[in-house]
Amino acid sequence: MIRRAALAVAALGVVFAACSKNEPPPPPPPPTQPTTTRQPAANTNNDDAAAAAAEAARRAEAERARLRSVVEEMIYFDYDQSAIRADAEAALQRKVPILRANPGVRLRISGHADERGSVEYNLALGLRRANSVRDYLVNFGIDASRITTETFGEDRPLDPGMTEAAYQRNRRAEFTITAGADNLVSPGG
Amino acid sequence: MQRSIHTTAGALLAPALLMATFAGAAAQQDTTHIPPGVELETRYSVSGRRAVAVRPFAGPIPLAGVVGQVGAIVTQDLSLSDRYDMLPVPTDLATPGPVDYQAWNSLNLEYLVTGEVTPTADGFLFDVTVHDVVFAREHRRRTFTLPATTSPDFRMSVHGVSDEIVQWISEQPGIAATRIAFSRFNADQTYDLLIVDSDGENLRRILGGPSQLHSPVWSPDGQRIAYTTSESEGWKLVERDLVTGRSTTLSTGSQLFLTPAYGPDGSRVAYSVWLPGGLELMETASGQAGATPKRLTNTGGDNLAPTYSSDGRRIAFLSTRTGQEHIFVSNADGSGARQLTPPGRGVEFHGPDWSPTGTQVVFHGSAGGPYQIMVGDADRPGLQIRQLTSTGWNEDPSWAPDGRHIVYTGSGAQGAGLYVIDTVTGTIRLLTRGAKLREADWSSSMAARQ
Repeated sequence: MIRRAALAVAALGVVFAACSKNEPPPPPPPPTQPTTTRQPAANTNNDDAAAAAAEAARRAEAERARLRSVVEEMIYFDYDQSAIRADAEAALQRKVPILRANPGVRLRISGHADERGSVEYNLALGLRRANSVRDYLVNFGIDASRITTETFGEDRPLDPGMTEAAYQRNRRAEFTITAGADNLVSPGG
Repeated sequence: MQRSIHTTAGALLAPALLMATFAGAAAQQDTTHIPPGVELETRYSVSGRRAVAVRPFAGPIPLAGVVGQVGAIVTQDLSLSDRYDMLPVPTDLATPGPVDYQAWNSLNLEYLVTGEVTPTADGFLFDVTVHDVVFAREHRRRTFTLPATTSPDFRMSVHGVSDEIVQWISEQPGIAATRIAFSRFNADQTYDLLIVDSDGENLRRILGGPSQLHSPVWSPDGQRIAYTTSESEGWKLVERDLVTGRSTTLSTGSQLFLTPAYGPDGSRVAYSVWLPGGLELMETASGQAGATPKRLTNTGGDNLAPTYSSDGRRIAFLSTRTGQEHIFVSNADGSGARQLTPPGRGVEFHGPDWSPTGTQVVFHGSAGGPYQIMVGDADRPGLQIRQLTSTGWNEDPSWAPDGRHIVYTGSGAQGAGLYVIDTVTGTIRLLTRGAKLREADWSSSMAARQ
């Protein structure tokens, strides 16, 4: 059951990251209401203050969602390769300052392969990709103890097709924040 | 029967795959320049098979159902051996009693199987005779014991008789009393380990759940299965005793364990383990937790899918040490490795399995197209690759103990599933249909234990 729960989290991560790839981040949840009962309408000062606080909370939540989507954005690999491509490096460089600014954040990296190869070879390839990403981040100052890696080989394709476009989408590393997602702060902020 | 080996590169040949595969070895595609021993064509022979018939077995009237069941199993087993032309039995020759050799001979029959089933306190006696029709005499005869039909061993016991008949006629091992282990990845993202009898009957799940399950392999005695799994605490290499249900963790503490393989005496298991930098081959003792493993490779890249020669002195395995996925053959300690598969741009080879009866190594490979099942000779590295399949995607082959049949994951005419090919006749049959059935491993004979 522990594993099932973890997979569910990972699956959510997939959806989230997949959405964020080509679309704006999903709308933030509605701002939380102040716990105090609403003051009489005549008290405009309090109303303004509450609205400002709500607006600030909404912005903060939107910013956390944005940071999370950056950290959890997938990266892609060439066929049978675990080297970090230029486009993947750009995505990783967007993650690095966020991870540096949030030392409490822990990350799980899942490596995936397209269906070519053998089931077992692809498990190794997925792990090699995940570890390659981990090593890249460690090189840029992220503590290795904050990162776990795992492989699902060819078993979790994003696209079940047998075209090169499908294969490209499936050769990927996924990122899931496993701790610290609720307290993300902006780099330098 | 002799395996047909054709070393001539005929005019029909040249599936694009193989031409590409051998682009390195045969710099020109002019077939007169193909090196000696390189075979670009697969031909199969169905001629020269012995004509065999199974006369309906005799037995007391109340046992007619059992007698018919035994006869059906034996007849199908002999047919699935792919060694015989199974002749139908004419009505006038179908009755019990003395064999009319002349009448059978006139049908060009070579061997006739007759038998009688009689009840005992807890099962049956099965008296079987193989007749040499040409010489008009009894060839071999023996009385076997069978358990009750309600016993889970009933079918396997009859399969054991079938394999004895094959041995009597052909002096070769049969494959009826064998099983195939494999893994399945389900649509709900759970994993199963399953086993099925070689005739496709008796499919059952031995393990399953959300943890990844991979690479099931039989111990030589058929009592244990080694496999690898990712549980919440990490990956491990496990051996499971199918008789007692007890599991032993042979190794743990790495990010990935894969592809165990038993040595021929069952005392050791080679496997692939993730070390910093990649997968390397190790070997450890079976049957006990925490034995000190011995390292077999140290090359960088990935080394996986070890498979022992039948004498246990050599292994074949997949290695990326050259930057491509190639099959290598080495001594059992990993020394003296030589590349078995031919070089070529874009080629890759996976999933080797060493024949239990010789030096042939089966694997799957491609030069960019769909994977196909291929066979090479460990004694002739780089040469003499035969392609066995040509349609659909075909992967993960494993030899039967007769060294002529191979089970593999295929997408053949009957859909996705496990298929069995006879390397002599080219006959292909569906063993078990289903998506994501994979990593099949064919057991040794289980007849001795029945």
